[in-house]
Amino acid sequence: MNAAIALIISFPAVLLISLLFEGIDRKLHARMQKRIGPPVIQPFYDLIKLFNKGRVIPLTASVRVFEIMPMIAAAVSLLGASILLSGILFGLSMIGDLIVVMYLLAMSSIALMVGGSASGNPYSAIGFSRKMSMMIAYEVPMFIAVISVAFGSTPSLAIDRIIKFQANLGLPLAASRPSMSLAAAAFLLCMPAASSAIPFDIPEAKTEIIYGLLVEYCGPYLALAKIAKAASNFALTLLASIVFLYIPSLLWENAPLNSGISLSLCLTTALLIMFTTMTVPRTILARLKIGQALKFYWMVPLTLSLSSIILSAAGL
Amino acid sequence: MFRIVSRGRIKSPWIFHLNTGSCNGCDIEIVAAFTPRYDLERFGCLLVGSPRHADVLLVTGPVTRQMLPRLIRVYEQIPEPKVVVAVGTCASSGSPFLGSEMVEGPVDRIIPVDTYIVGCPPRPEAIASGIITAVMSKFR
Repeated sequence: MNAAIALIISFPAVLLISLLFEGIDRKLHARMQKRIGPPVIQPFYDLIKLFNKGRVIPLTASVRVFEIMPMIAAAVSLLGASILLSGILFGLSMIGDLIVVMYLLAMSSIALMVGGSASGNPYSAIGFSRKMSMMIAYEVPMFIAVISVAFGSTPSLAIDRIIKFQANLGLPLAASRPSMSLAAAAFLLCMPAASSAIPFDIPEAKTEIIYGLLVEYCGPYLALAKIAKAASNFALTLLASIVFLYIPSLLWENAPLNSGISLSLCLTTALLIMFTTMTVPRTILARLKIGQALKFYWMVPLTLSLSSIILSAAGL
Repeated sequence: MFRIVSRGRIKSPWIFHLNTGSCNGCDIEIVAAFTPRYDLERFGCLLVGSPRHADVLLVTGPVTRQMLPRLIRVYEQIPEPKVVVAVGTCASSGSPFLGSEMVEGPVDRIIPVDTYIVGCPPRPEAIASGIITAVMSKFR
């Protein structure tokens, strides 16, 4: 019962915060290019407009799948983010919610992939195959990093226990041991690909394959896809900030979990993580080719996360 | 409720740009309007690649015979509500090409146009002001 109320409260909160995060991202991106940039609440305007636009469904699409998949993607990534948020707000946790959140975030990408490929557009098909390759590239090191954290800390798969472990230790997990900092580095390196920020925006490459999977989506469906993307980006940054860099643990001995201060500290850390892993690369780098991205992810982050596992097995 | 919707529409006009036989002068000025100096994105405009995402159709060039069916098709693919802006003298009046047998234009002979931006090519300020005027008058 308690959990249901917590989830119902945190659903709108997640929507609000993730859209604000996207607005801040766009504003910072513009300021770094010496532009004035859109207002911070621009994503809200976009969503209001998109939800009130007409629908055009292509003749080649298989209509049911095409219509349902954006809803699944939005619902799933909102759920993932609100599990994390209600974990901090109300101290709720369940067995294995770390894996559940990772699975939900992967599922939102997969739902968008299936929906996009159901549109029958050749650009969507290209986007589908590229997104598939990208997921093979970044999901593997990301999962290995998460598993290394789960076995290296308590060992536990509950986010709650990992946070308590950091609070007792008085240090963020990334600063506690070499193996954990390697895992954190691998996870943070995977973030731009998971959020398809520019050096790794190969699946949606706006100037090349016109948003790839989203090319046929219009109006409300596009709005749902945008919500899915914003919420999953927010969930990823929040996950990194509470699992690897739980800053409140530095301030107090046995930092209280469900206080407003620790929530705002976590959100600030999440914002900083978003700035460093999504906004800065998106502004200063150019798009890679799919082969280069695959090579990078299997050279650097995979090596980092595997060595983190080995070090953690050696007890470091 | 209706005011919120119309404010959302005014604040985020996404633009699809179609060249119907223009000399590329207007197209370069449209791109210039998105550069940091003029920064159309501060009004919420985005240059999108697919007509399905767009609210505003920017048409440049007198409509050539080859582009006629494509112009109509792109116009029909944009979901309602939509705005058409004719950029440049060719799109607005057909100017030097009017009467040629290769030219079916100007644009308002084929699809309804909301705003005309004249000039050969028009300045980026004029393009920005034309888009905002069209959106304000249509979506208010």
